[in-house]
Amino acid sequence: MLIRRVAVTLLAVLAACGKGEKPAAAGHDAAKSGIRVALLTPGPISDQAWNGGAYAGLMRIKDSLGAQVSHVQTKSPQDFDENFRQYGSQGYDLVFGHGFEFQEAAARVAKDFPKTIYVTTSGHTVAANLAGMDFAFEEGAYLAGMVAASVSKSGILGCIGGTELPPVKASFKAFELGAKSVNPKAQVLTGYIGNWEDVSAGKEQALAYIARGADVLFQNADAAGLGIIQAARERKVFAVGANADQNGVAPETIIGSVVIDLPHALLTVAREVQEKHFTPRVISLGLKDEVVRWTVNPKLANAVPANITKSVDSVRALLRSGSMHLPVGATSDSSR
Amino acid sequence: MNTSALRDVSVVAALTMFALLLLTIILAATGHDVGDALTALARGSVGSWDALLSGTLVRATPLLIAGLAITLAFRAGVLNIGAEGQLLMGAAAATALGLAWHGPAWLTVGGLLLAGALAGGCWAAVAATLRLRFGVLEVISTLMLNFVAQYLLGWLVRGPMQEPTRIYPQSATLDTVARLPIVIPGSRLHAGFLLGIVLAVALAILLRRTAAGFRIRLVGANPVAAVSAGRVDAAVVAFGAFIASGALAGFAGAVEVSGVTFALYENLSPGYGFSAIAVALLARLNPLGVIGTAVLFGALEAGAVSMQRDAAVPSVVVNVVEAVLILLVVATDRWRAQRLTAQAGT
Repeated sequence: MLIRRVAVTLLAVLAACGKGEKPAAAGHDAAKSGIRVALLTPGPISDQAWNGGAYAGLMRIKDSLGAQVSHVQTKSPQDFDENFRQYGSQGYDLVFGHGFEFQEAAARVAKDFPKTIYVTTSGHTVAANLAGMDFAFEEGAYLAGMVAASVSKSGILGCIGGTELPPVKASFKAFELGAKSVNPKAQVLTGYIGNWEDVSAGKEQALAYIARGADVLFQNADAAGLGIIQAARERKVFAVGANADQNGVAPETIIGSVVIDLPHALLTVAREVQEKHFTPRVISLGLKDEVVRWTVNPKLANAVPANITKSVDSVRALLRSGSMHLPVGATSDSSR
Repeated sequence: MNTSALRDVSVVAALTMFALLLLTIILAATGHDVGDALTALARGSVGSWDALLSGTLVRATPLLIAGLAITLAFRAGVLNIGAEGQLLMGAAAATALGLAWHGPAWLTVGGLLLAGALAGGCWAAVAATLRLRFGVLEVISTLMLNFVAQYLLGWLVRGPMQEPTRIYPQSATLDTVARLPIVIPGSRLHAGFLLGIVLAVALAILLRRTAAGFRIRLVGANPVAAVSAGRVDAAVVAFGAFIASGALAGFAGAVEVSGVTFALYENLSPGYGFSAIAVALLARLNPLGVIGTAVLFGALEAGAVSMQRDAAVPSVVVNVVEAVLILLVVATDRWRAQRLTAQAGT
């Protein structure tokens, strides 16, 4: 209880300190907007990652848009329909289901409550008041690949994922493309641990890749990724952080992080709803929206050649403007 | 019988009031607005027809059927702690059949529920056989089999039963013909609740009015006496009740899949099999009483989510209340038994 409250308070503070938005303006907005936004998370918001990020987003929606907010942590699939329906019948404007598991329940309920907009993260079903939200993580991964290739001495890079999910595969492909754009001879080793929790398995895999000559490791494995970072630190090679800004986890090892800014993503969608120009679609958020970012570790910024920093900036601009398109996107995959 | 039933009801009511009082104190101590929270609790559980039908009764359904499973086993002196695992196996079997085969709606749903009961019975048969042949304590074997079932389910939704895109740890969604019909249009209340009531009445009649029910109660009350009387094979009666209990729990799992979730998930059950023990004990192992206690627990669960939704109260607070309620029931039970023994002694 106490831990949870502390975590909630911390997140709220973090959210308030978040860049860009000004909580001070909330007072004005509250009077005229007052939209109601709800969030369903599949796990506890104290995880400081997937669920905590979304909750921070909800708090930011509350502060920046003056919205009235509500959150429910679902314990099992029984809770999905019930809560979606309740929010619908209470006239909420926007309801987030934060995870793939929510999409079918949202689709079932949405047609009964046409005035409420249902958005599910990683969802792909679209209807009049139903949308999905996807993150173009691969755009950040491409930039990471460019930097990784530039700091590698051996020209061998490693990619280690938790399980072979399409977005993870796509991000590794993009990483490889980015690396090859800098060093066409770069070689990328790719492998999956099989789960997202086993720290020692992550470390084993990382040590194996380092033994094969890899000197930059890109990991996307949640908790197991910490084992990969650990291995990189011990063998004095670089690692790349993923999802959250992990630059602080091992400041002498992590060259930079590909970040998904969940609070910003949720706020972006809520703002569209508030300003009444929301259109139902699979909302793909990436570099352009500042939801996906490539953040170089300031402590190691000197290790990155200046010309690479420059070309990363120009590629970022191209990706943001849409004049460059990566042929690997999980979101552009029409099979889903 | 009527006066004792009335007394049981008033005891549960008094204990519930006490538990709610405790909830009030916890809410106040943790700095929540007590009025807001309790209003949300009431609104989410019994505040409207929709809350009652779509929240409380839908949540009560698996608790009711699994509670009957526990009642039957405990009445026969079988401490089946494995309703959770039996329920999960029932859910898995029902989903497997529902995805593989479609006939007319009534036949599909009927077959799916039967498959669930069969799977639950088979899962219980493992522990029942271990007890019959080797004297393995069922408390331990059923508890362990819960873990096996949980991991088996985890493997199923990542392996052979994973949805076609092979990304998410869940099964494909059941077709509408494999779903239980909705009883009241516009709500989520499915026919499973009515089936639960029918089962409760049937079990009450079985236990009270039939020879088989008498044997079950006899074996449960005193297996040694049952054997010495020479007419009852206690081991066989307990074995049969054990398997029937597993079948009921498996049925509960099938009802949940066919009536609520429509797909197999790893976290399909938030511990229904365990809450069912509380539901059965609170009803003092009376099948008709289980209807009442299941609805009470369903209301508390639905109200808990509503408190989280509308008053930002963590739903674990209600778990505390439920736990206190169970402790109180067990304690008053003991106290009453002791008093009876004391009276008999003097």
